[in-house]
Amino acid sequence: MFGYTFQWNQALARLPKMLDGAVVTMEVAVLSMLIGILCAILLTLLRLSGSRSLRAVATGWVEVARNTPALFQIYMAHFGIASFGIHLSPFVSLLIGITFNNAGYLAENFRGALKAIPDTQIRAGRSLGMSQTQAFRYIIVPQMLRISFLPMTNQMVWAVLMTSLGVTVGLNSDLYGVTQDLNALTFRTFELFAIAAVIFYIITKIITLSARLIAARLFRY
Amino acid sequence: MTKITIIAALIAATGFAGAAKADKLDDIISSGTLRCAVVLDFPPMGMRDANNEPIGFDVDYCKDLAKVLGVEAEIVETPFPERIPALMSGRVDVGVASTSDTLERAKTVGFSIPYFAFEMVVTANDKSGITSFESMKGHTVGAVAGTFEGIALEKQVKAWGEGEYRPYQTQADVFLALSQGQLDATVSTSTVAMASVNSGKFDGISVVGKAPFDTDYVALFASRNEYGLINYLNLFVNQQIRSGRYAELYKKWVGGTLPSLTVPNAYR
Repeated sequence: MFGYTFQWNQALARLPKMLDGAVVTMEVAVLSMLIGILCAILLTLLRLSGSRSLRAVATGWVEVARNTPALFQIYMAHFGIASFGIHLSPFVSLLIGITFNNAGYLAENFRGALKAIPDTQIRAGRSLGMSQTQAFRYIIVPQMLRISFLPMTNQMVWAVLMTSLGVTVGLNSDLYGVTQDLNALTFRTFELFAIAAVIFYIITKIITLSARLIAARLFRY
Repeated sequence: MTKITIIAALIAATGFAGAAKADKLDDIISSGTLRCAVVLDFPPMGMRDANNEPIGFDVDYCKDLAKVLGVEAEIVETPFPERIPALMSGRVDVGVASTSDTLERAKTVGFSIPYFAFEMVVTANDKSGITSFESMKGHTVGAVAGTFEGIALEKQVKAWGEGEYRPYQTQADVFLALSQGQLDATVSTSTVAMASVNSGKFDGISVVGKAPFDTDYVALFASRNEYGLINYLNLFVNQQIRSGRYAELYKKWVGGTLPSLTVPNAYR
């Protein structure tokens, strides 16, 4: 099939560099999720707000984030913003791009979760003497996060995989960027990318398994 | 055993022997098509004309090779990082893709003798104040990921110990980032730099000087074990120079002094 002999030791010798890249990939994914969740809660609130213009902003964000390719969003965060004279490093551009995407998807998850919580709970809270904010914060948000916890891990996995788009904005310290650089240097394409795929798989597997463990602990009724 | 079985067996045996002997060069000749990996984001070596047809030095070089082989040329566009996967997966037969013949890469693919040589120049954003290679120190610089000059520049930035190196995926992205001021300077082949500066697509950038990197010799490549094909490629490159076609193509696409393809005081 291939006119090619696989030389795994040539690629495995570069494994430490790739693992360093995996750390950067995790950094981007974790940061983008943390900031993304905060943004998504904000978006959810905006979409519930009375102001039409605020609702429009939030809906616009969610629509663009969900209906355009992540590649486009990341590219815009680097080259698009730069045409207004704002220069961001590749790391920050990638982080903003993925965060934007995360926030859009998570806001949609949160909206679905909110729909699953009966309105009467707010009224029950209010009748117990809570303010609107208190009722939202102590009754609705915890349930919302609980319902949308597993979809959130899904988004986290997606965030990890999206870091591979960082190469388009000049990032070469993440796992995919490191692999790409090593590939250019050695041309050991198949070995290097096979190793990268395994590392990506392990990372995402760890995320889903630990999310399940956390869920089992946090959400005992 | 009957005579017929023996004869059938003999025919089968010769058939198999024939099949085993046919190498890549035979395959190309019998298929009637030569598929070349060419980078079409690398003017003037490979680019597209107004009708979106591939043109450039590498495109003509592939067509010349197909002509002497007596087959049709098929240009397969491959961005820089995808040249090798294209070859390994059998999508192309030969790479005519301005590929630097490093020893590290030669462990994976087979290179012909050099068919072209690049000089490296520094192109800077006019606002950056960079006037030479040395004055890039401490600035944000970039180049195309995985190219000869990209690898050399990254090493240089590390040696300087200050500034930042950013690799982009395509030459167009590098010059876009440079004209936006995201990069202060880039090192690229002189041919690409002139073509990009003169294209009028990128404002506020100019070529400021030479980069003191080694001459970047680039070679044709094929699967490493296809000696028959590599042997043919070597002779082809030699004949292109002998026949004056190399000089002709150089004048057509690049212009200026013809770079020598031999290393002084060395064989091959």
